[in-house]
Amino acid sequence: MYDKYTPPFTLNFEGHEISVEKDRENLIYRRTCNYQTVEKTLLNTHGEFLINPIEPVNLPKPITSSLLIDFEHPVVIGPGTKQKIYLTFPVETGIFIVGRNGDHELVDMLTLSNIKYTLYGTPNNGVVCRYWKSKAFTSYPHPDTRYEGDIELDIINDTTHWMEVTKAVFNAYGMKIYYGKEQLSMRAFMRIINRNLAETGFMTYTTTAEFKRSIELYTSRKVILSGNRGIMEHGL
Amino acid sequence: MNVTETISFLPETPETVLKIIGAILVLIIAIGMGKALTIYLQRSLKDKVDKGHLDIILKVGYYGLITLVIVVFILPLTGIESSGLLVTGGVFGIVIGFASQSIVGNLISGFFIIVERPIKIGDQINIANNIGFVEDINIFSTIIRTYDGLYMRIPNQTVFTANITNYVANVTRRFEYVVGIRYSDDAEEAIRIIREIIDNEPFALKDPSPGLFVDTLGDNAVNIIVRIWAPITEWFEMKTRLLWVIKKTLEENGIEIAFPQRTVWFAGELQTRKVTDTQTELLPEAPSRYPPAERTDLTEEIHGLPEMQEGTKEG
Repeated sequence: MYDKYTPPFTLNFEGHEISVEKDRENLIYRRTCNYQTVEKTLLNTHGEFLINPIEPVNLPKPITSSLLIDFEHPVVIGPGTKQKIYLTFPVETGIFIVGRNGDHELVDMLTLSNIKYTLYGTPNNGVVCRYWKSKAFTSYPHPDTRYEGDIELDIINDTTHWMEVTKAVFNAYGMKIYYGKEQLSMRAFMRIINRNLAETGFMTYTTTAEFKRSIELYTSRKVILSGNRGIMEHGL
Repeated sequence: MNVTETISFLPETPETVLKIIGAILVLIIAIGMGKALTIYLQRSLKDKVDKGHLDIILKVGYYGLITLVIVVFILPLTGIESSGLLVTGGVFGIVIGFASQSIVGNLISGFFIIVERPIKIGDQINIANNIGFVEDINIFSTIIRTYDGLYMRIPNQTVFTANITNYVANVTRRFEYVVGIRYSDDAEEAIRIIREIIDNEPFALKDPSPGLFVDTLGDNAVNIIVRIWAPITEWFEMKTRLLWVIKKTLEENGIEIAFPQRTVWFAGELQTRKVTDTQTELLPEAPSRYPPAERTDLTEEIHGLPEMQEGTKEG
C-alpha cells in the first residue's frame, strides 16, 4: 500500500477506495469510505502520487503535535540503567502529489485506527495529546501495519531511584517514521530526569531500498533549542 | 596684574560654572539611568507585552525618570526655585487631574491589563456581560467583537474592575447535559449507550474521564448527568452536535426521553354524565360525520361528578 502510484490508478483497501483519474490536463482525486467521498481536482497537474505514513496527530483535524502512548501495564526501570521496549502507535496515512522536481504536497489523509484525544497535565497548564493505548513489549511486536506501527523505545533512567513509567509523550516535530513491506517503525528514547520529568526524542534508522523514511509534515524548528523534543513535565 | 587681582575678577564664575557642570553631569547620569531602565524593562517585559505597548511603556519610563531627576536634582542645583513651580504645577495638576480623572484611570488600568494579561487578542471573553472576541487592547480601551459581529469599545477601567471570564484561557473545558429518561427504562443501559457514544467521539477526552451518573429521580424522569471534557477549540461544536446523537441512539435502543405528564386519579369510579331530553334538544345539530345524539330516559338521574384527586405518574 505504501508506494508511488502513477495516475490513473485505483486502490482498494479496508473499505477505502482511492482513485485518481485524468481529465484532460487535470487530475481528479477521489476517496470513498462508508458512503463518504472526498473529491479534489488538481489543476494542470503532472506527477506521481505517493502514499506513506505520516505523524499520527492529524485526524480528524490537527489540534496538537503531541502523541501520548498509555502503557497497558507500567514498566519499572532500575537506577542508572538503559532498557529497550517496544510500543505500538496508530497509523495515519498521507496521500501526496509529487511534482517533477520532487516537490510534494499533501492531498489527503486517512486512518484505519481508532482516534481519541486526551489531556496530559492539568486543564490550565497541560497539553492535549493524541491518545493511544499500547502494551509495553520486550521484543518486536509484529503489528498489523495497516493499523499500527512500532516504536523501539530506549528508556534511560538517569536518576538514582527505581522509576515506574506508565506513559510516553512524543512531539510530532522530530518524528521519523520508516516503512517497509511489513514494517512501520520509529526509534525513540526517553530520558528520565526525575520522578516528574522526562525528555523524549527520536533517532534515525539506516534507510535501504526496502526500508524508506516517510515524508514528514512536522519539520523541526531548528532555531528553538530542543524544539523537536518532547518534555514530560507532568509525570511519567 | 598679579594673581590675586586676576582671581578677584572672577569672584562668582567658578560657582556658576560648577553648578552648570554639575547639572549637566546629573542630566547625563539621568540619561544613562533612563537607558539602563529602558533596557531592563525591555528584557523583562519582552515576552509579556506586545511591541506597540512595550514602546509606550519604555518611553514613559525613560522620560519620566529624566523629568523626575530634573525636578528633584537639577532645578535646586541651578538655583531655580522649584517650590513656585511646584505650587503652580500643583494647582494646575489638581485642575487637570479632576478633568482627566477617567482618562488617567483608563491609562493606568490599561497598563496593568497589559502587564497582567488576563486577556489576549483573539480570546473569547465575557467582561461585565459583554461577550465576544478580543479584537484589540489599547492603552485606554479594549475592543471586542461580539458574537453578533458588533464592534464594542470597553474602557480599560471597566475591564480592570469588572469580573473577566476568559473562555479560552485553559486548554480544555467541560460541558454538561442532563438526559431525562422514563422510569420504565434501564438507566444502567442508558449510561452504557451514552458512554459508548462518548468513547467513539475523538475529541471527547479520555482524561479527564467523562462523568456519567444518575443525578436525580425527578418528577417526570430519571435524570442522568453527562459531563464531557473537550479541547477548548472543539467543545462548542461537540456540545451542539452530541446531544442529538445521544437522543437518537437512546431511542434506537428503546430508551425514550421523558416529558412532563400529569395523570389525574379519581377517588371513585368515573361515571358518564347523563343528558336529559330537554338538554339534548337545546344542543345544536351534530355534524353529519357523527351519529345522532342518543336520547336517554328521563327516569335516569343525572349523576354529579365524583370527587377528584390529582396525582402524578412517571413518564
